[in-house]
Amino acid sequence: MHAQPPPPLKARLDIPILTLLHPREYTPLVLAAALAGVVVGSLGVHWLGWPFWSAVAAVLIVLLVPGVFKWRADQRRYGAAAMGVSFLLVAQGFHTVEHISQWVQYHLLGWEARESVGLLSPANSEWVHFIWNWIVVLIVAALVARGFRNGWAWALLVWALAHTFEHTYMFVRYLLVLQELGSLGVAGVTAQGLPGIFGQDGWLARSAAICGPFLSRLPGLTTANRLDVHFWWNTGELALLLLAAHTYLRAALPAARAATPAP
Amino acid sequence: MNAGRLLRNWTLRLGLLTALALAAGLVPGWLRPTAVVPPAPAGPLTPVTAAAAPLAAPTACTGAFVTHTLPHTTTARTPIPHQFETNGAGVAIEDLDDDGRLDVVLANVAGPATLLWNQGALNFSPQSLPDRNARAVNSVDVDGDGRVDIVFTHSLAGLTFWRNTPPAQAGGRPTFVRQPLRNVHKPAMAMAWGDLNGDGALDVVAGSYDAELNLLGNDFLFSDGAGVYYYEQQGEAFQPHRLSAQSQALAVSLFDVTGDRRPEILVGNDFHTPDMAWQRADGGWQTITPFATTSHSTMNLAWGDIDNSGRPALFATDMRPFATTDARTWAAWLPLIASMRPVSEKDPQQMRNALQVPDAAGRYVNESLRRGLDATGWSWSGKFGDLDNDGWLDLYVVNGMIDADLLGYLPGAELVEPNQAFRNAGGGAFLPAPEWGLGSLASGRGLSLADLDNDGDLDAVVNNLGSPAQLFENRVCGGAGLEVDLRWPASANTRAIGARLVLRTSAGLLTRDVLVSSGYLSSDPARVHFGFPAGTAVHGLEVRWPDGAQTRLADDPRLAAGAWLTLTR
Repeated sequence: MHAQPPPPLKARLDIPILTLLHPREYTPLVLAAALAGVVVGSLGVHWLGWPFWSAVAAVLIVLLVPGVFKWRADQRRYGAAAMGVSFLLVAQGFHTVEHISQWVQYHLLGWEARESVGLLSPANSEWVHFIWNWIVVLIVAALVARGFRNGWAWALLVWALAHTFEHTYMFVRYLLVLQELGSLGVAGVTAQGLPGIFGQDGWLARSAAICGPFLSRLPGLTTANRLDVHFWWNTGELALLLLAAHTYLRAALPAARAATPAP
Repeated sequence: MNAGRLLRNWTLRLGLLTALALAAGLVPGWLRPTAVVPPAPAGPLTPVTAAAAPLAAPTACTGAFVTHTLPHTTTARTPIPHQFETNGAGVAIEDLDDDGRLDVVLANVAGPATLLWNQGALNFSPQSLPDRNARAVNSVDVDGDGRVDIVFTHSLAGLTFWRNTPPAQAGGRPTFVRQPLRNVHKPAMAMAWGDLNGDGALDVVAGSYDAELNLLGNDFLFSDGAGVYYYEQQGEAFQPHRLSAQSQALAVSLFDVTGDRRPEILVGNDFHTPDMAWQRADGGWQTITPFATTSHSTMNLAWGDIDNSGRPALFATDMRPFATTDARTWAAWLPLIASMRPVSEKDPQQMRNALQVPDAAGRYVNESLRRGLDATGWSWSGKFGDLDNDGWLDLYVVNGMIDADLLGYLPGAELVEPNQAFRNAGGGAFLPAPEWGLGSLASGRGLSLADLDNDGDLDAVVNNLGSPAQLFENRVCGGAGLEVDLRWPASANTRAIGARLVLRTSAGLLTRDVLVSSGYLSSDPARVHFGFPAGTAVHGLEVRWPDGAQTRLADDPRLAAGAWLTLTR
């Protein structure tokens, strides 16, 4: 009996997520769009006095064009579920960059929490996070329904639901606070950025029956600030997404390739 | 590499990192063992005579406190207080007529103070004391004559001393005669009494509230100012030592922060003025910085051995909403927060309560967040006391705010918040205890904890602003109590202020200090209260007197639950 020869180096380095995300024929378009976005953003900042977040938004909007081409190509090549995974990876990746930049601003650069708003500061609002997280949940749920099923995917769905539940809690409370402020005749006071379920001043920190001495002593659970809480929410979400996508694509990509007729 | 292998590898790496962190001691405080404090070196033993009397049996247990209204209301000059009158006034409890029942003195901002003579069964006979514009009140034997006097602060004026004068006839009540405290003349909001130089006589540290003094304009600016003064009692007069030229003092505490068994001076300052601390050094006092982080607008300083380790923790109050799950609470606070000067998260002064807990090396770590005590509303007084007689010190914090200028957008310009009680579930793990019925909505300021009905548990008296003072009668009936009075007639410190008592019980060692000034603008009786679970055996009592001498009682049948012991040296 002969030992099976090891797979070739290229196969061992084949990471299905990178295979999926590779822009291939759209690489020049992606680079050009990125460059164009940076130029437009820079001109806007220097000549038109745009705030920095506008420049970042400009880059993202311009990048959306090759993105749409790429995702359509993904659908043709690998199917709708893989296209959804591709979209989710890119979108959640950018979202995580926003949280990482907040984290860097706060912890490494030593900025104040209120100043550590990442690259897209206006996105740091209750509305945007509430809507964004529900979109993520719905996409994950739709993908699961279309075959994106493995242990990590289910864990991702649960995690995303829990994250979205916290944002829903914060969003509802945000609206209630605005209503109360209105009834007091107070205008011009922001109700954004209040704590949610986890972290300091959060629901758990004030819920003795549930929190108790044990939970309250778990590091960060009732003591972290909102910036850290949501950094970890997103880190967990991205990690589960990567694991789920890796597991799914490892089988789905070869199957899609096999099903595609040779040119 | 597949996902499973990746996970296994990372699990292994995380496990190794955790093991390394544990080995390097980089573990959070909650995983470390409780600080172990070496026993006090044996000082000279001193004999005492002990007299024991039984405490009354608790009656009508309800598992909660019962609220009584007291015949005193602290008022401001306007129906809705403006500016610094919102700070209200304090309360002092001590046995003023030596009848074995603790009496109450309530200071007042605009009106006269009220002296409530305890007639037993929680009946009080009020007597007006014409000391107006008062803020802090302490009941303490200033002149060492064995009778407890009354001292007030006034923020815009110096301290007033009301000397306890014996009654003309036997069985009568003492009268209080205003007399000067020689050389104690600087304006002061907060004060603390204790024997700081070890000569037996009580000294006082007083701190001014410059924000209010500045309203005097040139009268204050071109005067010599105020700040923090240590007044050393020397015979008939006090020798003033200026420790700081400025302060925004709302609390002064004489707390042994260094563990050298001598009190340091701590001053809790309002606004952005950092809290201050001084340690006795050769020839004077030197500033120290014992805490890495503190509260920002410190209103209260109180200490207690929350984990029965023998090393007390220090609690400071600040302003931070408690009911953060309630939209109405946020709506009340957000305009206020928006109007305040932003405080950096990196600032060592954080706008939240501080709980300074000593670690094994004696360094203090602010654990208010971790122990869930960081936010209790707009908090003024916060004090430790074993409210349920289970052997663990609980915490009661009174709060609320009325300010015509700051809170004009709220009905009655009042921020209404319930007082917060926290039950110590053991080892300093605090849980809110709304079931105790201490969540009064009145705007509380001064607070004192004392056994007013001599039934072995701690009651609470709160001096509210704009509404009647309240007495919260303890009917929790959680365990048993034992109380100890120290008498030291040979010393000018007749109540042994600054002594430390350690009760050896089958439930562990219980360490309590003889206090007078504590919390916010208030003072507690020198009588020490121990609570412990029913059935606990009491093995002995050790007293470390303020001069270092020690007294030990062991296997004394008088040391038992329900006893009230008076030890006279």
